Amino acid sequence: MKIALAQISPKLGDIEQNFRMHIDYIQKAKKKNVELLIFPELSLTGYTLKDMVEEIALDPHTDPLLKKLKGLSHEISFVVGFVEEKEKGLFVNSAAFFSQGKITHIHRKIYLPTYGMFEELKFFGQGKNFHTFPTPFGKAGMLICYDFLHISSSYLLFVGGSELIIAISAAPGRGFSDDEGYASARMWELMGEAVSRFFQSFVIYCNRVGFEDGKSFAGGSFIYNPGGQLVAKSPYVDEDFLVKNIDLEEIRRFRKHRPYRRDEKPEITLEAFKRIVAKYED
Amino acid sequence: MKINPAFAEKLLTRFIKEELSKFDFKKGILGLSGGLDSTVCVYLAVKALGPKNVVVLIMPYKDTYSKDVQDATDIANRLKLKSRVIDISPMVDAFYINHPTDNRILKGNKMARERMSVLYDFSKREKALILGTSNKTELLLGYSTIHGDMACAINPLGDLYKTQIRQLARHLKIPEKILKKKPTAGLWVGQTDEGELGLSYAKIDKILYQLVDLRKSKKEVISEGFPKQDVEKIIGLIRGSEFKRHLPPIPKISARTVGHDFLYPYDQEK
Repeated sequence: MKIALAQISPKLGDIEQNFRMHIDYIQKAKKKNVELLIFPELSLTGYTLKDMVEEIALDPHTDPLLKKLKGLSHEISFVVGFVEEKEKGLFVNSAAFFSQGKITHIHRKIYLPTYGMFEELKFFGQGKNFHTFPTPFGKAGMLICYDFLHISSSYLLFVGGSELIIAISAAPGRGFSDDEGYASARMWELMGEAVSRFFQSFVIYCNRVGFEDGKSFAGGSFIYNPGGQLVAKSPYVDEDFLVKNIDLEEIRRFRKHRPYRRDEKPEITLEAFKRIVAKYED
Repeated sequence: MKINPAFAEKLLTRFIKEELSKFDFKKGILGLSGGLDSTVCVYLAVKALGPKNVVVLIMPYKDTYSKDVQDATDIANRLKLKSRVIDISPMVDAFYINHPTDNRILKGNKMARERMSVLYDFSKREKALILGTSNKTELLLGYSTIHGDMACAINPLGDLYKTQIRQLARHLKIPEKILKKKPTAGLWVGQTDEGELGLSYAKIDKILYQLVDLRKSKKEVISEGFPKQDVEKIIGLIRGSEFKRHLPPIPKISARTVGHDFLYPYDQEK
């Protein structure tokens, strides 16, 4: 299966221009016979939106631009990030899976970072669920940025049967490292490696690049196979269009070798959680 | 504290290039003092924009710093830049004829604001965006003149401590004579930053790194062996200069107020 990651730099708050950029990448991907193309978090809008959130929110049922994107998803599937007006006046940070001429699934970001340089809870409502959903390539689950840094998110997708975990991101780089890129890159890669290896899914992480108000988005998108092996990686901070063939048979191969999924006991986890949560105090 | 200078160079040149193009500027302009920070900044600007798109102003007060003017001119020539020397003494002296003072700080601030005023004038003439040269150390200590050397459109070096700028400077191969110079704000003859602050940049930056980057408490930093009086002095300077790192407060009266709940990004639609 041929997959592509568009490590782009969207123009902040300019949907029209970002929409055109998406069309370009979709056409480019089609020419290369890509079957699944991933864009980063808030790819249609940019990240540091603040009060612009409510001005550029889209309704996936009625929006004409999203309708055009649906029309382009017959021969190729793709994931796009945008601000969704879920109900009147309720704005969420969403990832939509476009396939077979429609949006087949929307994930709404649950973990909204609001500390230090981040202020998402001030402007966004929270999603409520982690779902897995069928795709032409197997069962998939989507996560948005900080969702992915909470191991329980991937765990829920794992017990939900995911074979592909797609994490889209607008992660600013932080900290110096002896290697090329930011120190924070290690955090994402470590999670990608651990999740792919122990939850035996492909992990597809697409981050963005570019500056917004001085924040520098770090790039470094990657694909890990279900054995925790790095399959492909984009450069840090540079724009990139990463195209890679992945072998979906590897899911079966790694799960036969180490039956983590077969042996997982979500019902025990659930009972333990109930007991722990029941004892919570203020 | 150790940086990866090649990565810092790549990131900062990209930042300069990207910010200018977002706001439809081809050219950048900056004041060159002959010191470390403005030299590093001009090297990065030339890498980002090319020598034809970097305008340099050298703005001495009288002939007090002829050595620095010479060094700044050398840097400009070495980088094949268009540079102008603009003597700010007539403007500064004209003011002090009617309002004389012996206070060196007042005069130093006046000079810094005079240079700012000249830079903004030339920014418009040359259609060039002003690159600031303030580093993280001086931003945190408030060791700078508000609306003077702090005034700029973008500030590429603002997240690097002085000692980190030195690491970057070595990587950029700036002339040894600039690297060897004692840092000075040029407020008066013989003034050095370290003399005035009473601590070396090496010591200051180590303490700032503990307090700011590693978020350690005063108690923790002192218990790690940093002298109590040095840590307290630095904390005092940070707290005392908070006003320099903000826009002025606006009293909220209406339902929606600039700075409070009218919140748009700087890079909106860029």
